[in-house]
Amino acid sequence: MNDHLNRLEPPRKNPDLSMWVDEAIWGHRLHDEQTPWLVYLEFLNVFCYEDSEGRVFEESGYNTLKYCPAKRLYLRNILFNNPWMEEILRKHPNDLERWQEWLDKMSETETLNAPDFSYVKEHFSSFEHFYQVVSLLRTTSLENGSNKRWTSRFVFPYSEVSLYEDLDKKCSTNDRRFFGRTGEMLYLMLCRSKYKKELAVKIKEKTLNSYSVWHTLIKCLQPSTDENKDRSERANAFVPYTNHRSFDLLAEDWLAILSLSLPDYDALPYLVNLVGLHIIQYQLTVAAQVAKRRQPYFICEIVAPKKTLVRELSCETFHSNDLLSAQAVDIYISNIREMKEWQEAVGNHDPYSACREILQREFLWLRDASDYNGPADPGRLLDEFRSTALNRHRGHVGNVHRVYGREIGLVSRRGTNKYRYAPTDDFLRTLIFANVEKRMELHFFLERLLERYGMVLGDKEGEKVLDRKDFDKKSFKANSQRLEQRLVSLGLLQRLSDGCAYVKNPYFSRSDNEK
Amino acid sequence: MKWINFLRKYGPISRNDNMYDETIYRSAQKMHIKPIVFDHPFKGAVCDCFCRPQATDPVSVILTGTAGDGKTHLCREVWKILKKNDDDWISDNPYLKISFKYPLDRKNWPIDSNGDLRKDDGLYRNVMIHVIRDLSGWAPQQGQKWEPGKLELIHKFCNSLFDADASDIFLIAGNDGQLIETFRRLDDSPLVKKTREVLEEFLVEGKERQDGIRLRFFNLSSCKSLELFKLAIDKFLNHPGWQECYNGNKSDDEAFSARCPIRHNYELLQTELVRSRLESLFNLCDHIGLHIPVRQILILLTNAVLGHPDVKDYVMVPGDVPRLLREGKASRANLFDNIFGGNLPVTRRQGITVFEYLDRFQVGYETSNRIDNIILYGDMDTNLAGYYDELIKRDSYYNEREYFLEAKRNYIEGVDESVSSQQDFLQLLIRQRRGLFFKIPRKMEKELRMWELTVFKFAGEYISEVVNAVEKDSPVDTSILSRLVKGLNRIFTGMLINNDEAIILATSGSYSQAKISRILLERISVRSSKGEKVVIKKNNRYCPNLIVQLSPDIVEPLDLNLVRYEFLSRVAADGALPASFSKECFEDILAFKSNLIDAWNRRENNRDENVAMRKELRILKLSDQGSSDDTIEVRP
Repeated sequence: MNDHLNRLEPPRKNPDLSMWVDEAIWGHRLHDEQTPWLVYLEFLNVFCYEDSEGRVFEESGYNTLKYCPAKRLYLRNILFNNPWMEEILRKHPNDLERWQEWLDKMSETETLNAPDFSYVKEHFSSFEHFYQVVSLLRTTSLENGSNKRWTSRFVFPYSEVSLYEDLDKKCSTNDRRFFGRTGEMLYLMLCRSKYKKELAVKIKEKTLNSYSVWHTLIKCLQPSTDENKDRSERANAFVPYTNHRSFDLLAEDWLAILSLSLPDYDALPYLVNLVGLHIIQYQLTVAAQVAKRRQPYFICEIVAPKKTLVRELSCETFHSNDLLSAQAVDIYISNIREMKEWQEAVGNHDPYSACREILQREFLWLRDASDYNGPADPGRLLDEFRSTALNRHRGHVGNVHRVYGREIGLVSRRGTNKYRYAPTDDFLRTLIFANVEKRMELHFFLERLLERYGMVLGDKEGEKVLDRKDFDKKSFKANSQRLEQRLVSLGLLQRLSDGCAYVKNPYFSRSDNEK
Repeated sequence: MKWINFLRKYGPISRNDNMYDETIYRSAQKMHIKPIVFDHPFKGAVCDCFCRPQATDPVSVILTGTAGDGKTHLCREVWKILKKNDDDWISDNPYLKISFKYPLDRKNWPIDSNGDLRKDDGLYRNVMIHVIRDLSGWAPQQGQKWEPGKLELIHKFCNSLFDADASDIFLIAGNDGQLIETFRRLDDSPLVKKTREVLEEFLVEGKERQDGIRLRFFNLSSCKSLELFKLAIDKFLNHPGWQECYNGNKSDDEAFSARCPIRHNYELLQTELVRSRLESLFNLCDHIGLHIPVRQILILLTNAVLGHPDVKDYVMVPGDVPRLLREGKASRANLFDNIFGGNLPVTRRQGITVFEYLDRFQVGYETSNRIDNIILYGDMDTNLAGYYDELIKRDSYYNEREYFLEAKRNYIEGVDESVSSQQDFLQLLIRQRRGLFFKIPRKMEKELRMWELTVFKFAGEYISEVVNAVEKDSPVDTSILSRLVKGLNRIFTGMLINNDEAIILATSGSYSQAKISRILLERISVRSSKGEKVVIKKNNRYCPNLIVQLSPDIVEPLDLNLVRYEFLSRVAADGALPASFSKECFEDILAFKSNLIDAWNRRENNRDENVAMRKELRILKLSDQGSSDDTIEVRP
């Protein structure tokens, strides 16, 4: 492969896969159905396990991560597979009867072996209190309101005891539907960042609060006997690069957020937004490197009441960025022709078999030779490989840019029928909290967004990245003025006289940052 | 009448010569007229930085602020005292310097037994005072390079901030943006960097001085607009030019005759009620963070008296008066409308700060049924007749009665359905409402709910009960404090609760900024109890603050500006979030909640060295009596 990226080979290419292409380029694996929140949860599962083993953020050899996430089936059955509580509460005025009926019902729980929920009773003074706690935990659960199977519903990550892995309907195994390893990748990325040590300390200190009442509550919903025995080992996560600018940027941004004086769990949504943002950045940057394109940039429209030039450009950049990862796959496969091994195989007496063998060995494709019905010609075989790979790519990995972009509030279709970059208030807040210490002059802030994330909001930045024919100073100026107004209305901008404005971070705490 | 011709130049005309301190003196000299001059409230403090007897160890001074704040004027005042004349000032050079002697011991001026300065040179040190009276005129334009001489000078300035032995000090005047921009375009040497940080800190944090830094920083925009207004209107009304206008016999349609609109406006502006309502508006501007510079105040006053929609530049000169009187158009010089720039076309008005700011009150557009009934039906309704006579009929000059009645008839009966005639009528209505804002006497203010003529229905109460109280350091009425606490609680919890005896801190469990927050963290008592209390007090300037004390050493203040006050009051009084307010206030108050929760966490952590595992969960419940909470205890 001659795209000048130093890629690692996995210790063992996962035999379950239909091919090894997206995985080779970006890792095993980026998955669009796993939203940034779920990426974060999967990450925490890894983080906490590795921490309990005393080796957090230490990789003994590249891509050798093995961990055993918890299942916490009692907790999950109570929260998400227990629709009777309200009815029981109504039916019986007596507390004893309420408990009795509930315990009877729960004893029939199929996913547990000899279920016994009687421990719950010890922790609450009444069934009604128990019911209130459960309904509260349900309202704060993640993606509340989605109609996912109950085994893919997650309690808010209040502390370590709220973490568990995604499971299939029978609760027998992680079928990788919503925990598709992107969280494991996130762990490896941070593991390979320059700031992993500081980060490990901060994550433990700020996000997993074992003093909170929530920790106590959630613990009380689980039996004291060791459920931990029922854990299975997870392995085969893979990130192909030993270092990457995205890893360090993400770690820096996380550190900035974790150093703010935000109350309780308020930092989490920002961390999650940054996960989404940096995964997009990672995907597109690597894609651009493979496809030998310029570093992608994002023209962001601060939503205007009507169509503007910035909106048009924003739609265009979205569209071209959206195609970038597929182009990378295309070029990656085209590069196979230039492999020495391939060229030798083509000159072989049975070129078709020799080339097929390369594809099978290196790219895990065509495990069953009968899956290919075309002519026995290396060129045609490669074409078939390309189109299968592209189809597969478009099914999941190719959607990450759009899906994650929407999830974190960077991408929107508001007021148009095309996608574009139009950041929401929450996303803007994330950027400010991650980048501004106490305050920063607005135009430095805009410069920084371009430099770190390739985001274009103001006229100076637009002028830098755009061709002269596309650039219109006035519309970009209007865009940054809209940004100013938005930030004023969020209480994050202070304007002085004549065009001088400062972006403020009200949660920056000097003392914490001097520690 | 040359005074009025001169005065016109202060007005909203396109060639507004009296805008700049530099030009005003020239034109005044040419016309042999005294310009409108008054001592800036900061003058004493600024002069004391350089002049005897206060200045014994002078430091550099920066005057900053918005355009028209009087920076150049203040520089000139200092210069006059140091140089004893201002001849050099006429030059166009934005930079002047003067050497001055200060006591060598830096403590006391050496004085002989007669109280005169001692002549012995050995007792003094020479200090060069560099005056950059116009930073933007002096610093290189954007994209151009620094001249070596200027570069050297600005480095000297940087040095003067940190070096007590420096024999050069500076007086620099420049707008905020210019100041930041100038230093940004310098090199990145440690000295320049340090200076830049200092200036930024002073500017953004509103500091005036800081230990260890030889700089005094005067942001003229921090001066209360109300104070400037009072000074300006006094000088404006008492200018000798007016007396000259009264002199001599006048024929009936001449300027400054008894029927003259200029004279009528001048006299109206002197009435106590008009003046006090104007003062209220300026006071409120200060309390929503809108600073109105001197130049803008003069534009307003000039336009109030001379404004007219049907003359050149929309500002009258004496020559216009006979024609206006002859054509029966004197009533369109309506002072009440002119105050809001109603005589100017929209595009012209929008470019003028003071009218833009006053527009935020929406006087003339906001109203109540009661007030509109008086205007529309007062002459026909016996119940309203008393009000009508006092408030409308009595003002025969500006009530435009005949015109109004005709327009009303047309509007109601739909005789003429053209858009323009409807517009005319609505404009008339706006002028009448504006008139009422200045005519409703104090005793009727509450009864007629006069402040409903603005977007801030609670503005009257805000000034009389809150601003005035905190200025005198007296306590604010508890019913007001209770209302604000109720407003805060409704936003903090997202529920329509009525509790006002304690501030309720609540979260959703996972997110403190959630729209609905049912998990109770703490109730902070409003009345003083166990170190907790909530009071309204003045901050270090003049703004009322709502101060939440969680313990004697943990205190969180909320700047209680007019917008927040109105917002919280309406949330408490009307229940729902007022739609007319942007999210700004809501976000603002939620950010305050974050600060309070953070402060509460600090307090709890301080109280208990070994933070115990918490075992209680308190859930807020809404009931008929307001809210209560259920405590759920778990046994780990």
